[in-house]
Amino acid sequence: MVAPGIVDERPARERQLVRFLAFGIILIVAVLGLTARMVYLQLVNGTTYTQLATTNSTVQQAIPSTRGLIYDRNGLLLVSNQPSYTVEIRPSDLPFNQRPAVVAQLASLLNMDSADINASIDGNPGSTFDLVRIAAGVPVATANLIAEEHLDLPGVQVTVDALRHYTEGALMSQILGYTGAIDADTLKRLKSMGYLPDDLIGRAGVEEEYETQLRGSYGMETIQRDATGRQVQVLATDKQPVAGDSLTLTLDTKMQQQAQTAVDWAMRASKLKSAVLIAMNPQTGEILAMVSTPTYDDNQFANGISNAQFQVLLKNPDHPLLNHAISEQFPEGSTYKLVTGSGALADGKLTPTTLVQTKPYIQIGVDKFWDWNRRGFGRINVKTGFAHSSDTFFYQVAQMLGIKRLAYWGKQFGFGAPTGIDLPGEVAGIVPDNQWKQDVFGQPMQAGEVVQSGIGQGFDTATPLQLLNAYAALANGGTLYQPQVDRQVTAPDGSIVRPFKPIVLHKIAAPASVFTTMREAARMVVTVHHTYNLVDEPFVVAGKTGTAEFGTRDAQGRLPYHNWFVCFIPLHGDASKPDSQLAIVGFNEDANTVGNSATEMVKYFLQMHFNAKKDLRRFDLMRIGDFYGGN
Amino acid sequence: MGVLKAEPARIQDWANRSVGAYWKAYDPQLAIYAVLLAGLGLAMSYSSTVVTGVNPLDPSSNFLRGVIWTVIAVVVYIAATLFDYKWLRTFTWPIYLVNLGLLALNLVIGTGVGGAARWIAIGPLQFQFSELAKILMIVVLASYLAQRHDRLGSLRVILGACVLMVPTWVLVMLQPDLGTSLVLAGILAGMLFLSGASMKWLAILAGIVIAMIPVAWTYILRDYQKARLIGFLNPGGDPQGAGYQLLQSQIAVGSGGVFGKGLTNGTQDALAFLPVGDTDFAFARLAEELGFIGAVLVFVLFVVLIWRVLMAGYRSEDRFGTIFAAGVASMLMFQLVVNVGMVIGLLPVTGIPLPFITRGGASLISLAIGLGILQSINIRQSRAEW
Repeated sequence: MVAPGIVDERPARERQLVRFLAFGIILIVAVLGLTARMVYLQLVNGTTYTQLATTNSTVQQAIPSTRGLIYDRNGLLLVSNQPSYTVEIRPSDLPFNQRPAVVAQLASLLNMDSADINASIDGNPGSTFDLVRIAAGVPVATANLIAEEHLDLPGVQVTVDALRHYTEGALMSQILGYTGAIDADTLKRLKSMGYLPDDLIGRAGVEEEYETQLRGSYGMETIQRDATGRQVQVLATDKQPVAGDSLTLTLDTKMQQQAQTAVDWAMRASKLKSAVLIAMNPQTGEILAMVSTPTYDDNQFANGISNAQFQVLLKNPDHPLLNHAISEQFPEGSTYKLVTGSGALADGKLTPTTLVQTKPYIQIGVDKFWDWNRRGFGRINVKTGFAHSSDTFFYQVAQMLGIKRLAYWGKQFGFGAPTGIDLPGEVAGIVPDNQWKQDVFGQPMQAGEVVQSGIGQGFDTATPLQLLNAYAALANGGTLYQPQVDRQVTAPDGSIVRPFKPIVLHKIAAPASVFTTMREAARMVVTVHHTYNLVDEPFVVAGKTGTAEFGTRDAQGRLPYHNWFVCFIPLHGDASKPDSQLAIVGFNEDANTVGNSATEMVKYFLQMHFNAKKDLRRFDLMRIGDFYGGN
Repeated sequence: MGVLKAEPARIQDWANRSVGAYWKAYDPQLAIYAVLLAGLGLAMSYSSTVVTGVNPLDPSSNFLRGVIWTVIAVVVYIAATLFDYKWLRTFTWPIYLVNLGLLALNLVIGTGVGGAARWIAIGPLQFQFSELAKILMIVVLASYLAQRHDRLGSLRVILGACVLMVPTWVLVMLQPDLGTSLVLAGILAGMLFLSGASMKWLAILAGIVIAMIPVAWTYILRDYQKARLIGFLNPGGDPQGAGYQLLQSQIAVGSGGVFGKGLTNGTQDALAFLPVGDTDFAFARLAEELGFIGAVLVFVLFVVLIWRVLMAGYRSEDRFGTIFAAGVASMLMFQLVVNVGMVIGLLPVTGIPLPFITRGGASLISLAIGLGILQSINIRQSRAEW
């Protein structure tokens, strides 16, 4: 089987010698090739590479700035920075054969599961030179212990971070928000502004809205690192960090606590899924209290929320992470009669004395639109209609106005557009008109839909804040303000960066007399005993209840409903004067109570706020049951 | 299995013909070059240990482990020299089976970085059986080819040698250890070439292997291996990822200049910019600290060492000795070129250690066995003149 060929005809020994020589030549050529490359790298470009090598050993790193503090309107500290110890591992510094021992020791020191630590190390998205966070919020004693043991724990570092501490816990979470790790998309957007991959950023509430002011600007320093990447010395501080500005909010912590107490009571008494209470100064748009339940504790996020805890919050059907006061919209129900009535007065469709025949129902085509009071109220004027909340009265007023003017007045009162409050995640609500209906459903508004819109049902929706803002405009004589939760921005040196200034959205295009009439009407709501449960209180309230149906009918043909109560407190007890400094909205989602639970909730808040001697809460009204026995 | 049947007779044969050691024929040059290279390796290990802040005399230091392995290697070298290499042919098949057994064991109980099964821990020391497999396969192949030296022009013998390599190759690839499997292929090619196998068939086989590269790329190589290969072509493309080691090692080499920065003065590795600085990239540290002079010294030592290896083979009267030397020479040259080529950015990152310089007990033991056997060949020839 010897293959033929010239090579094979020569003696084997000689052939082998040739091959050995050929091998030697290949070796020499290959080594000369390597040497040539070494000449290129070391002799020709040696200087260049030496420079590259020295730039490697010093690195620039950011010096975080101190995040600004947040105070309430009375100077009470709401958010502070607290030192927090974080344990991190640089995987490239952890020898593989020592890893099990190191992980086991860390696990016992930190009281964690070894598997979780291993998962953090293995799940690290960066290179093995990047630090992996193992535990945040480590107690000082443990942090010291780990720092002392660093020789036995190669690759493990303890760093001190400033963590946000929310002194009032869950009380302010919906407004303050929290800071959290920056996500990849945001980082890409903000990298040019000096954000780092392991940076924290405001993720909700004021922390998000005022991120720029609170963050300040990071400094920069040049450091030298040793063999393990640890910092040896700071060579130069290239730029000093500038601490963030502090915020003074419009919130009054005491009122917030009272609001929370009232809401918590309503939640318990009526087994509510969610509830909102907002208090504002109608003369300035300052938010004094804003409670949305269910809520969460922002300290959970500040300490590094676990995935399990976060999933619990995310999966809660009542959305505790959502600020229901601004981020959800609901039908306004009868509270919207303010818009219908004011619009008709301003447009001259009604005078304060014009009488309108109310009925058990009005008929449009084959459909009957019932009054809540199936006997009707006889011939009444707008104040009486508003005070008794007559549905057929406002059905007819809506017909007089027509959908175009009705929608116009809705928008005049701030509905259908975000109020522009300085909080993230606000929604716009809906003011339906022919154009809107055409865009969404492909047909204009039907006659029946127009009359329903006149009582805040059908397509109309608003956030609790929008409704409050509309009544605040009523209370102050027709000026729609932009609500604000931040009162002032203060620089670290104490100088005022931005003083408080009310922001006027617009003046509602109606004469002052219209608002005077409607304020008197709102006061009549109580004085005619429509909202009888407020009559005996020592404070004067003018307001409007709302029972807003939604969803699908039950077996008896009834719809579930939300309860609203929105009101203002005349400064000197005279509702005809535009001098109120306190307006409140209460909202109970899917309440279905015997009485208007929102009214009781707001009443309880007012009792506390005005230090009422007697507690006149009506627990019987808070029970679940058929509301339609009387409103 | 004709080999096994013939065995008793061959044992008799060898025992009768075996000559005593002729120490005048011992090659001191071979030993000196190897000792110099091993000394450089220890120096690099010392430097790497010192700059990472570890006391070199600490029991867990890489330097002290290197010293322990060197001592063990010297003992192994002496034992291999004293052992009559002619017995190796007799034990070819047991050696082959032990080799496969150790590699299989390595797969089962081995540990390594990133899910690989590379090492077996023996007390405080780690042992990489794939390193041992190289020298054992050289023994097996030398024995196989020597027995068929009159039929080396046939495709059958060439294919037979390849088939013999397949199980070892597969076991090494399963670890996965791309570097060692490439070295094994290099050894096989070198031995076939040097033993005088038909050029025509070797050329055809080489053509087939090249044609198989796209298939291997798709089905055999793992993603990280591909990333390393691509990283070589464009190291600047991903300086923090796949190209990182390459850029950093070239910076280390380049910054060494003519005379280097001096032992323990390397900054690249010291600052952890050069990953695994005393393993596959040890040459980068050497070039940084000892400069162009040191690098060329290493090249020269390797060239003269390979020359002495080939001389031992050339002087051998029996084919086994000749082809065994061819295997050792092929291994040394392949690893030198591919490792240094990788460090200086001429070849892709494949994870092949540089003999003597790269830290690693198994590699050193493997070399000690190989060089010991070569000395055994040197001193057991009937005409022992130079």
